Amino acid sequence: MSILKTDNLTYKYSVGTPFEVTALDSVNLEIEEGELVAVIGHTGSGKSTLIQHFNGLLKPTSGKVYVDGQDIWESKATLREARFKVGLCFQYPEYQLFEETAFKDIAFGPKNMGLSEEEVKERVLRAAEFTGVTTEMLQKSPFDLSGGEKRRVAIAGVMAMEPKILILDEPTSGLDPKGRDQILHLIRNYKNETGSTVMIVSHSMEDVARFATKVLVINKAQVVGYETPPETFSHAEELTGYGLDVPEITKVFLELKKRGLPVRTDVYTLEFGMNELKRLREEGFEL
Amino acid sequence: MSNVTIGQFFPGNSVIHRMDPRMKLVLTFIYIIVIFVCKNFWALGVMVLSLLLVIIISKIPMKVIMKSIKPILIIIIFTAILNIFYVDSGEMLLHWKFIKITTGGINTAVFMIVRITALVVASSMLTYTTSPTLITDGIERLLSPLKFMKNSVHTIAMMMTIALRFIPTLVDEFDKITNAQKARGADLETGTLIERAKALIPVLVPLFITSFRRAYELAFAMECRCYHGAEGRTRMKIMKYTKLDVFGAAFIFITTSGVIALNILFEHVI
Repeated sequence: MSILKTDNLTYKYSVGTPFEVTALDSVNLEIEEGELVAVIGHTGSGKSTLIQHFNGLLKPTSGKVYVDGQDIWESKATLREARFKVGLCFQYPEYQLFEETAFKDIAFGPKNMGLSEEEVKERVLRAAEFTGVTTEMLQKSPFDLSGGEKRRVAIAGVMAMEPKILILDEPTSGLDPKGRDQILHLIRNYKNETGSTVMIVSHSMEDVARFATKVLVINKAQVVGYETPPETFSHAEELTGYGLDVPEITKVFLELKKRGLPVRTDVYTLEFGMNELKRLREEGFEL
Repeated sequence: MSNVTIGQFFPGNSVIHRMDPRMKLVLTFIYIIVIFVCKNFWALGVMVLSLLLVIIISKIPMKVIMKSIKPILIIIIFTAILNIFYVDSGEMLLHWKFIKITTGGINTAVFMIVRITALVVASSMLTYTTSPTLITDGIERLLSPLKFMKNSVHTIAMMMTIALRFIPTLVDEFDKITNAQKARGADLETGTLIERAKALIPVLVPLFITSFRRAYELAFAMECRCYHGAEGRTRMKIMKYTKLDVFGAAFIFITTSGVIALNILFEHVI
């Protein structure tokens, strides 16, 4: 059974005013457990609106959302359950830190779940370990930490709830390359060790290619693709039409193909590209 | 939270929307004074009709107008009840122990209801058809002949413009932080008043910190562009009176003359 499913999900902003906008238009999708899904789409395509439906922050104008096979809007209890099953970490999450110490801030989520003090502590420490937040950092005020550290504390705050599905809206935006890599690796480690489903909204096709197992493409309020990265990037033209990009390496191979070399066009990582070039050389092409 | 209508501007391209904000400010002010000059139902009727005409021309839906009356409904009802019981003139309709209801009381109550409603709707029409920025700009321009306080007029107008400009941003920010804390299981909707006030801390602390950060950034950005107050500052958009404004002024002039004439011709209610 799929962990997350939507059934004709439609959402409109400001219904009944001149500002009415359809942000999601009958979205049907099914996500299997254990995937690392990258959500890509042009600015304003409806990505953020979509992910806010998964934990019930937004109520669909029509259609249904199922988490773990349960319609989340069935009752208050199911909605509350969905809040904890689906952990949502917004863009620039460091701006929502508020507690006196990083430890207390990470504990905010687990505490709201009504766990015992010991269980809360255990979870905070586990989340801190995943995110590389040191014991020293835990005792500091979150406002005294650096940007990257704050970001990791904020992500730990969502991880500490140990949701079945972890959703992160552009977790790497505004970070330097090193910080970005750290965050992406810690997310992957988290996924591998806990076996939970992870969803990342991202603008970096390179990151998507390197980390995702599935890519969800959204264009103009509709889901237009849900495939593996090589499948997704093999329709480069379509993606460009949606105002999206493909990884640089894919571009290189598309150009090679255009110039008449018999190469594959679904190349999406550097290693893959190297192997493809090796194969060409073995087949006797001048490079 | 996104249905907060501070400034409640309702975009459009009607004749009323396109009028000069200064003229609209002045005419609204005059209109409100004239409402209080009205002494009988005929005069008040003229005011209501002219207001209806303006509403129709502006193409603002009645539903939206109704929304502006909602917050003062209690005041209107309260005023009406007070007037019914306290005004003692005309024919006696009901006399029971200490309660007296007279035709005079009912007349005054109805008069008050219409008067307050017209007052609120008229001022709402100004804010519905003029963006908050244009209103503050208009106020600044109207007050600018006061040379001795020119700088403070400019500063206050600038502060108001910035404050208004950032209300939507803050509302947005508030929504975002609320959502983020809700996603972490914060319960903002249930509980006693004190519990709910406490539940707001995780939202308000980040909101304050963000506002301070924004204020610093904005001040820096303004200084980088050599902002130094009103002195020697010119305008990008220059306001000009057009034919529309002449029509508007004429319209209010005719209405006012009508009200004065009707006040003289007919018996006073108040």
